[in-house]
Amino acid sequence: MTPAERPLSPHLQIYRPQLTSVLSITHRGTGLALGIGAVFFVWWLSGAAWSAACFAAAQAFWGSWLGKLLLLGWTFSLFYHLLNGVRHLLWDIGFGFDLRSTYRTGWMVVVFSVLLTLFAFGGGLYAWGSP
Amino acid sequence: MSATAVRHWRAQRISALALIPLVLWLVESLLTHLGEDRAQVQAWLGQPIPAVLAAALIAVTFFHLALGVRVVLEDYVQTPGRLAAALIANRVACWALGLIALAAVATLAFGF
Repeated sequence: MTPAERPLSPHLQIYRPQLTSVLSITHRGTGLALGIGAVFFVWWLSGAAWSAACFAAAQAFWGSWLGKLLLLGWTFSLFYHLLNGVRHLLWDIGFGFDLRSTYRTGWMVVVFSVLLTLFAFGGGLYAWGSP
Repeated sequence: MSATAVRHWRAQRISALALIPLVLWLVESLLTHLGEDRAQVQAWLGQPIPAVLAAALIAVTFFHLALGVRVVLEDYVQTPGRLAAALIANRVACWALGLIALAAVATLAFGF
């Protein structure tokens, strides 16, 4: 039996991206990125506990440009997932669920994640003495 | 299934709440200690309060991560067999990483 020619539901790429959907998928993306970051964190911690060579390798990695780029991405991911997570928790208790508030808190999450990232990453570079 | 879903939902939120203060502590800690040498990091996690906070952060983080990755897998892995394998791999990986990290903190805290 051949399937009937039914209209397909509109696919994701049909829609113009909206702030709400972009922020939603970014929450997932940053969550997964932080999971990968946690693996590197365990590497560094294991080195501190058991192996000087492993610790030195982790330190050298943070110092490299790739390591710093990843740290920048993880810093943003952390602040974004934290702030947007609080936004989700507020929705769960019934706050800010109307469209206007959803957009306003959405933009707040974007702006504050960027600001906190610049602040913390700048502070980190200054604290580690490697500008 | 619904009881499982409700438990998952609640566990995700409770762990998220617990992570708010723990993650702020992590940011402060990494700003201070990520650039330090090994002896300094060992001395830092050799103290009781940082060791306890690190252990709590590790336990809650990998618990929250396992819940989150599970939802992503359930959404995107369409073959039932593959999904079952992926869900097991997720649990095993999160448990293994969490236990390794906890063992590392215990080593530093008790100086094994």
